[in-house]
Amino acid sequence: MKRERGHAMLELAVSAGVMVSCLVGTFQFGYTFYAYNQLVTAVGNGARYAAQRTYRAASDQDVERGNAAIRNMVVYGDTQAAPGSAPVLPKLTPAQVDVRWELTGDGAPVNVTVSIQGYTMDAIYRSYTFNGRPSVQFPYVGKFAPVEREP
Amino acid sequence: MFLLLAVVGMAFDMGRVYIARNEAQIFADAAAMAAAKQLDGTAAGLDRARAAVAAMPNRWNLGTESFTGVVTEFSTDGQQWDAKPKDVAGLHFARVTAPDNHVEIMFLRAVGGPQQFTVPARAAASTKPVRLTQ
Repeated sequence: MKRERGHAMLELAVSAGVMVSCLVGTFQFGYTFYAYNQLVTAVGNGARYAAQRTYRAASDQDVERGNAAIRNMVVYGDTQAAPGSAPVLPKLTPAQVDVRWELTGDGAPVNVTVSIQGYTMDAIYRSYTFNGRPSVQFPYVGKFAPVEREP
Repeated sequence: MFLLLAVVGMAFDMGRVYIARNEAQIFADAAAMAAAKQLDGTAAGLDRARAAVAAMPNRWNLGTESFTGVVTEFSTDGQQWDAKPKDVAGLHFARVTAPDNHVEIMFLRAVGGPQQFTVPARAAASTKPVRLTQ
């Protein structure tokens, strides 16, 4: 009788180890996919916003201010980060959002590509770093304003 | 064991399917806009629209695979769609369908799920601001 109880405890110990690591692994993949989905959505929305936004290009500074608004759109869902507003994913910062314009010879935008650079996501067993993924390109359909200044 | 596989499958496979669906929709949106942008009532504009869709760099399967089997259609009114319209003069609409993303199902197939799951996406865009009736 005593010996059988020992077997049961050993069995539980072995199988619980397997079960728990399985569940933790499941959580890790599930959470990572969820987070990636959030990231794809945010980048897609940001790129769509960029494609329709007036491209004000009076100076490089104005272009950069426009890009900053697009980065905020990806990270916070708003062109300006309200105080205390949370990013779509933990530790995602506007600096990790890359906005790239494809311009014609006279500086008019043709395409805009928004991507994530160097965002590291912590899962339990390991962390994943996204470099250049997700990346979304949209054709530019907004108004090109070469002499306007960003307000 | 059955239950564990089902739970793992839900987390893993459904996660991937949802991502693929999002990626496909974003691709279709961007491609339809790119196609509509090229429409100018000429046959050359139509060719440029098709080329713009083909050149769309957005990918799926966690940003690794290009879309295949993409269908580009055109319309004058947003109702009747034609991939190879004969009358090119009044075309104002472009519609892109990405039907072909087969997400491999890894765990759920062991508990009676499908081998693959397809999440098609479709988007239409117009050169004129009009109400789309679909």
